[in-house]
Amino acid sequence: MSRATFGDFLQAAHDGLGPPSGAGSYAPRGSVEEVSRSLLRVVTVMGRYVQDMTAGLDGIGRRARPPLHPWARACLQVREALSNAAWFLTDGGPNRRWPPSPAASPLARRLDAVTVSLTTGRDLLQTHFAPGAGSSWEHRSEWAVVVTSPPVTRALLAEIALLSRRIAHQGAGLALSPPAGVPGSAPERRRLNAACQWLWVLDTSVRAAQQQEPVAAADRDLMAAIPVNDLPPRRVPGGGEPVAVLCEGAITSAERVRHLAWVAAQDAPWSPGMSTGSLRQVARTSTVTSHNCHILLGTLAACTARAGQAQISEGLSAAADAAGRARDRWLRAACAIGQITTETEGHLSPAAIEAGDLALWTGRLAYADPQWTLVSGPAHPGRPPESLVSRPEDVPMAVAAVHQACETLAQLPQTEWEQISAAAQVGRILVPTSTLSSDYDVPRPFARAPHDRVEQLLAEYRGVAQASRQAATAVGEVAVAIQASSRVLVTARQAARASQPTRASKTADHADALAALRDPGAARESAAVREPDDTPGPIEHTLRGLGVSRPDLLTRGAELDRAGQRFLIDATVGINRQHKRPSAVMLSKTTATAALVNNALASGDSRAAAMLRGPQRPQQAESEAEREP
Amino acid sequence: MNEIAAAAARLQQAIGLAAILDAACGAFEDMLPVLWDRIDPGEPLFIAMLTAATCAADGRDAVLFAPSLPPHRRPAAPQAGSGQGSVDVVAGAVAGLCMLLAARLAEAAPSAADHGDRAACHAAARYASQIHEALAGASPL
Repeated sequence: MSRATFGDFLQAAHDGLGPPSGAGSYAPRGSVEEVSRSLLRVVTVMGRYVQDMTAGLDGIGRRARPPLHPWARACLQVREALSNAAWFLTDGGPNRRWPPSPAASPLARRLDAVTVSLTTGRDLLQTHFAPGAGSSWEHRSEWAVVVTSPPVTRALLAEIALLSRRIAHQGAGLALSPPAGVPGSAPERRRLNAACQWLWVLDTSVRAAQQQEPVAAADRDLMAAIPVNDLPPRRVPGGGEPVAVLCEGAITSAERVRHLAWVAAQDAPWSPGMSTGSLRQVARTSTVTSHNCHILLGTLAACTARAGQAQISEGLSAAADAAGRARDRWLRAACAIGQITTETEGHLSPAAIEAGDLALWTGRLAYADPQWTLVSGPAHPGRPPESLVSRPEDVPMAVAAVHQACETLAQLPQTEWEQISAAAQVGRILVPTSTLSSDYDVPRPFARAPHDRVEQLLAEYRGVAQASRQAATAVGEVAVAIQASSRVLVTARQAARASQPTRASKTADHADALAALRDPGAARESAAVREPDDTPGPIEHTLRGLGVSRPDLLTRGAELDRAGQRFLIDATVGINRQHKRPSAVMLSKTTATAALVNNALASGDSRAAAMLRGPQRPQQAESEAEREP
Repeated sequence: MNEIAAAAARLQQAIGLAAILDAACGAFEDMLPVLWDRIDPGEPLFIAMLTAATCAADGRDAVLFAPSLPPHRRPAAPQAGSGQGSVDVVAGAVAGLCMLLAARLAEAAPSAADHGDRAACHAAARYASQIHEALAGASPL
């Protein structure tokens, strides 16, 4: 069974809101007070997400704050918008506590469902962190650096904006609906509408950043793929499993080994898990796993060549060669590790034990013998291509299994290098005295390893890391090309690199992400998918309400709405220059005014936000947002 | 191959716990370069030889920390295996040496007064058996 991912809860939040606007929207029904209370909960949890992203900036003086990248600016503007929305929803109105019974209003119930999904989603992300010293957060998994990475932060903001926009449509629809069917006082309605207007402003801020640097589809996929930090249970093959089960087993095993190795790298250098027994086991089994990957990639290259997929086949052949080179480097490392020792002989780390599982799962995939093991002996015929891939759609699954294994093999030498370095510094790396030159006179059978021997060993691990990374990259390119599920590993690696974590400190602030957002370096591919703004404006809405269905009239009404939007926005900009901006509640004073302002805000034109924000000097918005939702 | 034969001879001639431990440690050390020199991913014995080499290092380490192992030992054999013979022949010779190793260590263990020596003998005998198991099924013994 696969692990829960952040995408599960994000999707649930979208589903909770019902169909997108314009596609069978719900009729506005329910109590304004109830909806306001539920909206406050949504705004509060959204505020927590954004607080996670912006926490570090509070410590930087406004004057000292450097010019911000569009996404960093959007982040602060989103915080400001949520803070203002929350202020309108709490101003003399309901508190944020959950009522004893479920809401009766349909929209309130939908918003409560969104709150639950977003809260659970945030909890899932938080499983990758633990409180550290001071206000810092300690990483608890290799995914933590991805969670705080700029690409994921951007994707998260884009999702918050999308949800906000949908909520604004529904909330304002209720606030401006005829009083007969919707209980709620005029001030309550004005406050609800004003809160929704700030949600539109939020959306506009994110849109502005999107225009300058769109969120890549791969980054959205990565965000959605972030799993809960709870490993699937360890499994070993029983024998005779079908290929799909073997692929799944290899993927689970690879994920487990990566995590266990990451955990081991956080251990103190005197940890008993850091032993030559563990290092040898990892080197031996990783040599076998990379050999198995070499065989599997060769088989997959043959399968795809036969299916006429020449380019994919070529990529797989190149990856098979790279896996072969990685195997040769692992072999050298295994030989080098045989020449040193530690005093904790016989103690195997969990990562070392399970590295053997990975060799077993990949071996069962690679060889025809369903009972293959590492001690099975010589000469095993490989699995026939038609057995590995019986249908074209099996290729991505098999590639994903090999890709996951190769990613693990690329991470292992890095963590092993760190462990050996740390152990050498505290004198734990030993050699048999008999292997030392006669210059050494040591009255024991073993001695501390000379510096040059440690350096040689570390050089071998650097070589393994490089070769294994090349193999993982080569398989990753194929995984992306054929849309294998493991392709998120490629994006995750890019995201982790963008974060440039300081492993030495082993802690990170969520503000790392924001700091990295200032770096406009990484180019974004443009693939942002936005929901079209097909909500009718006030004139079109009125026409439809009157029963007008003639397309030419509705089109003319929509044109008038757009002209009204432009007119209002242009006029507002003029007012701003004279510092005569009305308050948000004033903009919701009458239903007609509110409908026009809402329509302008929903246009996504960044100038429309000035109606609420007022005249601003450059960068002023970044220094706002002090009210906590 | 000469190293393997010499190691086997020393092991057979060893008398007393310290001498057996010394000969066992030397045997593991001597088989290491011989095995590594012949590990070839293109060979059917690739994984068996790799397993054997890893176990040989583990076996050496098991004996290396035995309290009764003499502190001053003869220099280890050169890193590159200098012997001749095919992979099959080498595998057979090493498997044979390991069978002897396992037997001598198992025989020495009960005579050891120190717990550390007994544990070392048992662990090293186990690694020797694993090498034998990995190579014996793979070679014409």
